[in-house]
Formats: sequence, structure tokens, C-alpha cells
Amino acid sequence: MGQTFQRALLIVAAGGLLGLGVNAVSPRRIPWRRPPRWTPAATDLVTLEDARRLWERGEAVFLDARATEQYRAGHVAGAWSLPLQEFETVFPSLRSRLSPDQALVLYCDGERCDDSYRLLLKLRPLGYTNARVLVNGWTLWRRAQLPSVQGGSP
Amino acid sequence: MTRWLVRLFLGGVFVVAGVLKALDPARFADDVARYGLLPDALVNGVALALPWVELLAGALLIVGVWRQAAALVIAVLNAVFLVAVSVALARGLEVCGCFGGSVARKASVWTLVEDFVFLAAAIWLCHKERRQQ
Repeated sequence: MGQTFQRALLIVAAGGLLGLGVNAVSPRRIPWRRPPRWTPAATDLVTLEDARRLWERGEAVFLDARATEQYRAGHVAGAWSLPLQEFETVFPSLRSRLSPDQALVLYCDGERCDDSYRLLLKLRPLGYTNARVLVNGWTLWRRAQLPSVQGGSP
Repeated sequence: MTRWLVRLFLGGVFVVAGVLKALDPARFADDVARYGLLPDALVNGVALALPWVELLAGALLIVGVWRQAAALVIAVLNAVFLVAVSVALARGLEVCGCFGGSVARKASVWTLVEDFVFLAAAIWLCHKERRQQ
């Protein structure tokens, strides 16, 4: 059993080193350390209550920062899909429909999901100053049983 | 014969799972982060290492080298997955990352059943291979 244990550790070590090594030369490389998490300013955020009000009055466009498959599986009714990972390819087609002063509510899912915040950081330099993040948006929206739909982008 | 089939099956599952995760490390890292179980500093390291450990252990199981050790690694990994998925389900998170981002799905009770079957198979193999040696 001692030998098996040593071998198991070797497999883990070899696999781990292989992974880090491949990453060092891969075109899809990611940093070894994840960039520090965001520290949101109060003005970057919108509460569920405010988001709901904006939604009911149709005053804000909701942007879903999650992956397309997750969006299709269910999203805030009327929300547009803008996956963070595909920002460069998707945003140009949305841009003509969004005036810079348009109120935007950005969301993804999970307390620790910062994709929507990273979206905010991409939108701001483009002049969208009226964008805010609904943290843990999808989960909150569903829990509150607010309108959601399934399927592709409107 | 049964043992050979189980080895092939379990090894195959882990090779596929490893490859799919290794193909899109950024997405897998996001999935790992979404579980919220690891400090941020460790998320990317784990996301980079884990797929290759899966791949290596699965491949060893298939070719039949260091079988018991490979089965042990897979058993431990599955035990960890079982805990992680249970916590995610309990917290109502929509995440899986089980077969990388290419297979879009979220963790469900079925994921737990699946993990449990893999875990049982790995433990069984580990036990059988020991008696063999």
C-alpha cells in the first residue's frame, strides 16, 4: 500500500506539473494566480429592488454576462446575452441599439461571480456610464420569482 | 474481464473529462471559482493542474500501468468532486464544470449519482488490484 500511495502522489505531481508546463506555452494560457477580486464601489451596484423597478418600468436594458448556453437555459425576461468571454465579437452588434446614456443592469450568477463586473469595466471606457451590477443576479432574480424566459437572444 | 471493462470505462471517462477541461482552462478556472471553495490565489493553479491529473490517471488505468495507484487517485478525486457538488447543490449554485465548459450543464442530483458510481468503481478497482499484486 505504501508503494501505491507513493505512486498516486507521483501521478498527482506529474499531472500537476504537466498542466502548469503546458499552460506556460499554450496560446490559451491563463495566469497562475487569479487576478484579485473586485472591490465594488456602492455606485457600481444595483439592488434587486431597484433592478426590479427598472425592469418593470422598462427603464434599463439587462445584459447577461454568462455563457450563451446558460443564457439559453434561462435568463431575465428581455435581457440581452453578452457573454464576457465573447465581448469582442458580440458587443459590436449590440452597440448600435444602445445609446451611451442607456441604463444598464449587468448580471451573472453566484455571489463570487465577477463576470458582470468585468463587463462593467469593459463598457465604461466605451462611454456607458449608467451601467450597474446586480451581484448574484440570476439566482436572486429566480428566487424572487421574477419573470424569466428560456431560449435565444431577442 | 469485468475488471478490464471497469478500468476501460473509468479511464475513458477521466481522459475525456480531463481533455475537455484542459482545452478551455479559462472557462474551467471560472467554474472552479464559482464553487467558492478555494482561495482565489489557488483557483487557477488547481484549474490548470486538475485536468492533467485526471488525464494521466485515466490513461494509466487504460494502458494498465500503476493501476492501483491510478484508481486511488481517481477515487480521491471523485470523493472531492462529491463534496464540492454537494456543497454547490446545497447552496443552489448553477455550476458543474464536470466535463469542462464544452458540455453545458449544471450540477444536479444526477451528478451526485454519477460521482458516486465512479467513486464506487474506483474503490472497487483499487481493492481488486491490491489483491492481484
